[in-house]
Amino acid sequence: MKEGFRQSMAWLHTWSGLLVGWVLFAVFLTGTAAYLKPEISAWMMPELRTPAPETPAEQAATAQALMDHMTRTAPRSPAWFISLPEAREPWANVFWRDPGAGGRGFRQAVLDPRSGEPVAARGTRGGEFFYRFHFQLHYMNVPVARWIVSFCAMFMLVAIVSGIVTHKRIFADFFTFRPGKGHRSWLDGHAVAAVLALPYHLMITYTGLVTLMFMTMPWGGEAAYRGDRAAFNTEVFGTARPARPAGVPAPLVPVGPLLEQASRHWNGGTAGRIQVQNPGDANSTIQLTRSDSERLSFNPQIMVFSGATGALLSTAGDDSRPAAETRGVMYGLHVGRFGGPLLRALFLLSGLAGTAMVATGCVLWAVKTRQQAAKRGRVGFGVRLVEHLNVAAIAGLPVAMATMFWANRLLPLDLPARDEWEIHGFFIAWGLCLLHPLLRRGRRAWVEQFAAGALLFGLLPLLNALTTTTHLGVTLPAGDWGRAGFDLGLLAIGLALAAIARIVARHRPGAAPRAKPGAGPGSRPGAKPDRASQPARHGEPVAAE
Amino acid sequence: MSFLSLALAYAGFTALCLAMERHHEQVFQARRVPPRRRRALRIAGWLLLAASPVPCILAEGWGYGTVLWCGVLTAAVLPLALLLPYAPRAAALLGPVMLPLAALLAVLRA
Repeated sequence: MKEGFRQSMAWLHTWSGLLVGWVLFAVFLTGTAAYLKPEISAWMMPELRTPAPETPAEQAATAQALMDHMTRTAPRSPAWFISLPEAREPWANVFWRDPGAGGRGFRQAVLDPRSGEPVAARGTRGGEFFYRFHFQLHYMNVPVARWIVSFCAMFMLVAIVSGIVTHKRIFADFFTFRPGKGHRSWLDGHAVAAVLALPYHLMITYTGLVTLMFMTMPWGGEAAYRGDRAAFNTEVFGTARPARPAGVPAPLVPVGPLLEQASRHWNGGTAGRIQVQNPGDANSTIQLTRSDSERLSFNPQIMVFSGATGALLSTAGDDSRPAAETRGVMYGLHVGRFGGPLLRALFLLSGLAGTAMVATGCVLWAVKTRQQAAKRGRVGFGVRLVEHLNVAAIAGLPVAMATMFWANRLLPLDLPARDEWEIHGFFIAWGLCLLHPLLRRGRRAWVEQFAAGALLFGLLPLLNALTTTTHLGVTLPAGDWGRAGFDLGLLAIGLALAAIARIVARHRPGAAPRAKPGAGPGSRPGAKPDRASQPARHGEPVAAE
Repeated sequence: MSFLSLALAYAGFTALCLAMERHHEQVFQARRVPPRRRRALRIAGWLLLAASPVPCILAEGWGYGTVLWCGVLTAAVLPLALLLPYAPRAAALLGPVMLPLAALLAVLRA
């Protein structure tokens, strides 16, 4: 029974992992990049130079300037959403609804963190693209894409739990990594990346599902609130209920005193977002939301004021009920926006470990299956397909990401829908990576794609120097560690990819006659077939057969 | 303070790992771990690991400190596991070198 259970879990682990592996790899890598969303956006908008306001007085002045700008440009809009500039995001993002436009008519602009005037920043989605992509993909109907990602995340959870059951020697092999031993090394690498960051993997997968739970499991809320979404949101999150405009004009009160009152209420916390409904009307409301970088829980702390009189109408989120707070903490853990630079670095490291876990898992399948197929003397279509997709998904994605950065610097500034074209660039490059293994088989495809990624990433600081005035030659002497660090990080990624390409290229297939290069990068399938084929002795997950 | 946590965790993991035959052999070229040394390593390892969350929690409080500590555990054990096959002695020495340094830094800062 015990052996049977473990065998069936091994089967489940292998196939649930393979089924969603490629999507998960992309989700993990872009999700990890999303920890640096503000930094990526800042790099992609080199026109933004003004530092964020620091003192409460400066912050209040900025907020007022933003409100004034919105009053001038969108007085008839039913709602404004303003995200205030912060140290990591020294610009203001504003959204409003244009009542004249068709559909929902959302408009968006980037405003200067001091003057509140629009900045002539190039059209780009910045880091927002990676963030969005990691839970709703692209070119797809948003709910459908979110369902796909939720489905994959659910399988991820299945793969993690079945993987723990399958792994017989978690403690005995805890520190074990044996490089240069073909299939054995892939298994070790897979286990090391999985086990040593296991708390993170479980946390990020589970909390990822929680972030989309109102979509995947809406029935509780639907039943309790009879489909009244607004009532649900008001009660759970404390957001202001949409009020009907009174039709009586009334100017908005200055926002400074409201910010001050909110800061007192939150024991010195600062507002991160301002939402205005029915601006210029007697029934207007101003909703202040506390900055989400200050708390672990993602349940927003909210204060709603009357826009006409400045009277406090309601507060929310100060002490959430246990269920809401549980969700809030999980959501907060997932997005990791509360942490300082250190915690972010640790999350980044664990995210990369997760990416490596998925990648090694996919490669392991290919290495192992090819070994078995070679024994039978026939390598089937399935193995070739998985190998092909592995190259495109794993080595191709960094190429695509780097291409987007190149497009950001090289596309003409006045190109219509420029931000979309940066993203098209990402997918065109990825598509080419998908075709490339048709021409170049096996190991060569791996090497070339990793090398392309290395070149593209490694030359980005140079491209930055040629196209902007915020390059390493300026930022290093000025001690601008934020910008310099990003350029150096790009260089480091380039070097890391180059190292991987080199390792893959230099690996010689073992002397055994069955050696078949190309099952995985740097794999040596023939290295020690005698050891590798004795699963019981070494306690490895037994492949499904 | 979190550097002290990292150093404690790294030293703790190193001790636990040296108590295992496979890794003992990597570092000391002898597969057999003398029983007394094994016990000493195990006890030291678990004590160090048990102490590792303390600086994090003292500095950052229970909620945030615990999250930070989980990340620190991963950041400590990943380099150890990856370094062992390539430079076993350096991997083993890093703990004893880092620990007094981190303690000194923590004292200086306090």
